[in-house]
Amino acid sequence: MPTLDAHIVKRRRELLVDVRLHLEQAERLALFGASGAGKSTVLSCLAGIENPDVGRIRFGDTVFFPPNLPLYQRPLAYLTQSDSLFPHLTVADNVCFGLRGHENNGASLWVEELKQRLALGPLWNESARRISGGQARRVALARMLARRPPLVLLDEPFTVLDRPTISELVDAILQWQRELGFTLIVVDHRADILERLCTRAAAIEGGRIVQEGTWLELAAAPATPMLARLLSA
Amino acid sequence: MLAFTLALLYPLTGLCAAVGHWQWDGSIPGSTASSVSVSLVLTGIALLFDVILGTPVAWYLARHTGRDRVLWEAAVLISVLMPPLALGILLSLAFGPTMKPGAWLLRMGLPTSNSPLAFVATQFYVSVGYYIVAARAALAAVPSDLEKTAALLGLRPSQVFHRVTFPLARLGFAAALSLAWVRALGEFGAVMVTAYYPSGMPVQIWINLQDAGMPAVMPLLVVFLLTAMPLPWVIHLLAQRRHADANA
Repeated sequence: MPTLDAHIVKRRRELLVDVRLHLEQAERLALFGASGAGKSTVLSCLAGIENPDVGRIRFGDTVFFPPNLPLYQRPLAYLTQSDSLFPHLTVADNVCFGLRGHENNGASLWVEELKQRLALGPLWNESARRISGGQARRVALARMLARRPPLVLLDEPFTVLDRPTISELVDAILQWQRELGFTLIVVDHRADILERLCTRAAAIEGGRIVQEGTWLELAAAPATPMLARLLSA
Repeated sequence: MLAFTLALLYPLTGLCAAVGHWQWDGSIPGSTASSVSVSLVLTGIALLFDVILGTPVAWYLARHTGRDRVLWEAAVLISVLMPPLALGILLSLAFGPTMKPGAWLLRMGLPTSNSPLAFVATQFYVSVGYYIVAARAALAAVPSDLEKTAALLGLRPSQVFHRVTFPLARLGFAAALSLAWVRALGEFGAVMVTAYYPSGMPVQIWINLQDAGMPAVMPLLVVFLLTAMPLPWVIHLLAQRRHADANA
């Protein structure tokens, strides 16, 4: 059972991020804090977009850092505010982009489920450059999950989406998380979304985790005034 | 706009000028046809080297963020900015028999002047800088986020290049190639010094002019224009159309 163990130290201008994380398999953790607290840096280092200055990251038997494991070898999916769809491909090609021989290994059924659940049918053969922002987000989510990653990192994935769409996507992610059993880390600054997605939260301030626990524990005794403000917002 | 365009295209009316009865060859029968094949084949080979050696350099310049990039860009620019005649003279000296590389190649049976090798090498030197500058711009226009996304979806760097980077930059690559093609095919000054023989089209046009005057120039001039211009012209139009489609 892969567990995630990470100690990430990374300097970003005046901010020194120094965060330790430990997640059991299929655990759902929210990284919660104000803008600029270092949440996205942590996810970016886990994904391999940035390298920590110091530290270690291990997921099960796979060492991400050090040495720096190439992106293509990391068994994870990473979704940010940017959909990063491949504009020269159709929606279908985008969703199946990371699959190899998906017609023969049973993945086509899974892709079909993603397509139905995320209402991608009408867009399936459209060019990715011609779909709306909300549609693009659904395509990016389908593409991310198509490979059934054991570790999923979401960095403010619901920005600019309307409430009904967010609610629909949160439901879908939760259902698939239960089915696939992936470990989930979500970064957002909105507590209500995180509370629905994650059972546990780590509050980050000034690059460090100031409190960790269930949402009830955080709400009962917030460690800092800033955290209290964010939780009550 | 119309007046400017007409003025711009006016030199083409020279093709209708009364220069006497056109003749295919100058004083040497077969030399004109030979110059066409020399130009097309050897320029094609030079372009192959441009692509093979220039593409990794363009990719490095487009993606590398280190301070040393400025130095490499400056080095590439020198090859672009160097006057062709000066480049030809420098090449003939640097690869001449008195220098080690030239002497070694001569011992290997590869003369570095007035030979196909000299022709291809000169065309490579005059065109590769243009290819790299244009290919670098094409690669830089591909968002690196897309390449990272592809890598996170399990693609190795070479697969990312083939499935994401190249398809998104292909028109830019075609433009780079066509620019290099025009530059190499039309080169006169540098090739004149290093490879008077085998004569390519520009040198043969010069020889025909010297030998038999304008009547012997005109047919080859038409072939020269037809081989040099249509490819870049069509690629430019395609690029414009794609740009318009993307903004629609």
